[in-house]
Amino acid sequence: MTVDILGMRQRSASASFVRELFGREPRYAGAALCLAALVAPTLVAMALDERTLLGVNVWLKPLRFEIALTVYLATLGWFAGWLPERVIATDWYRTYSACVVAAIAAEIIWIVGAAAFGTASHFNESSAMMAWTYRLMGGLAVLLTSSALVYGILILCHSNSRLDPAFRLSVGFGLVLTFFLTVAAAGYMANSGGQFVGGRSTVVPGATLMGWARDRGDLRVAHFFATHAMHFIPAFGFVASGVLSGLAARWAVIVFSALFVAFVGYTFGAALMGRPFLEVLP
Amino acid sequence: MIPDTLFQLCTTSAMAGWLVLLASPIAPTLADRVSGLLIPSLLAIVYAGLVMAFWTRAQGGFDSLANVMRLFTKPEIALAGWIHYLAFDLFVGAWEVRTARAEHIHFIIVFPCLLLTFLFGPAGYLAFVCLRAARAVTPLARSTSLRP
Repeated sequence: MTVDILGMRQRSASASFVRELFGREPRYAGAALCLAALVAPTLVAMALDERTLLGVNVWLKPLRFEIALTVYLATLGWFAGWLPERVIATDWYRTYSACVVAAIAAEIIWIVGAAAFGTASHFNESSAMMAWTYRLMGGLAVLLTSSALVYGILILCHSNSRLDPAFRLSVGFGLVLTFFLTVAAAGYMANSGGQFVGGRSTVVPGATLMGWARDRGDLRVAHFFATHAMHFIPAFGFVASGVLSGLAARWAVIVFSALFVAFVGYTFGAALMGRPFLEVLP
Repeated sequence: MIPDTLFQLCTTSAMAGWLVLLASPIAPTLADRVSGLLIPSLLAIVYAGLVMAFWTRAQGGFDSLANVMRLFTKPEIALAGWIHYLAFDLFVGAWEVRTARAEHIHFIIVFPCLLLTFLFGPAGYLAFVCLRAARAVTPLARSTSLRP
């Protein structure tokens, strides 16, 4: 019997990725599609709007969140195909996933709304309403990230899964680590009152691609890698399960996961010391 | 991009959509996709981007005629209003063509409705609704429809 690395045979593989995604988790797929559709008008707004915040166009942040949450939801939607049978049809899951989607909708409305008014969404303490909204959104951010934890635990505990064991381990580890590392990095950032450490000027020179600060520590670097544990570790697991035998592949996934946590810790520590991430970045 | 350039770009796109619609008897699928979906969607994206970028800085509102007129004193919002016309008029025109095809109403009979929709939006829609109503209640009108 051949090992089904990606679990494609669990459901009839559709020709279209989007159709397959809707088949696996229609709610997350629909939400991802709505977020992706927002990207185009946001790009138009960015091209037309001259307002800036901290030296960058006000629409850059909504654009990043739209793309990031589209990727997050699409990934979870794809991973939903590897959840235990019938979980998606249960009442608790329907209620929970609806809450996650609602939390994401609230976050996006908040971030897009703040950009439309030319003001900050995160760290905005300019009025009581904005300050309380920021706190509420922090709670909703934990809720939406918790979906990675729930998925990770369900996939790790799915003993009847037809996924390759090492790959299943990597998906589960990636998801669980996404939750804990993200909450740690983002939680610290929220409580410290800003994403930058060091530097005095109000205009922050940022890297071209990611916008990370190049003259001071930027806690968003650790946040980025923490949140993408659910991509990096499964990607490694996919390769490892293809080239290594069972036990070796599983150990490789465990070691890589530990190294990944150490790497996120390094980026976090470097930012705390006020050092920019990889100064050679464009 | 200055509003004038965007105005030219959007108006030209809408014109292209109407031209494709006129060619619908020979290229129905192209007309459905380009005039009924692609160009209205592109116009909708530009419209949404304009509203996102400029709505909060506009004066006025929807509650009175005076306030609506104040809204349109900001060029970017007036442009958004114009793109709203362009997108919806073209979309309605494409719907008329599609509906007429499905109901075997000859294109020549629909053409005046399209012209009205192009120039005066709702008036063209009203004409098309009247045309369909007339066909529904009048056997003579049905029998005189030219088969496409």
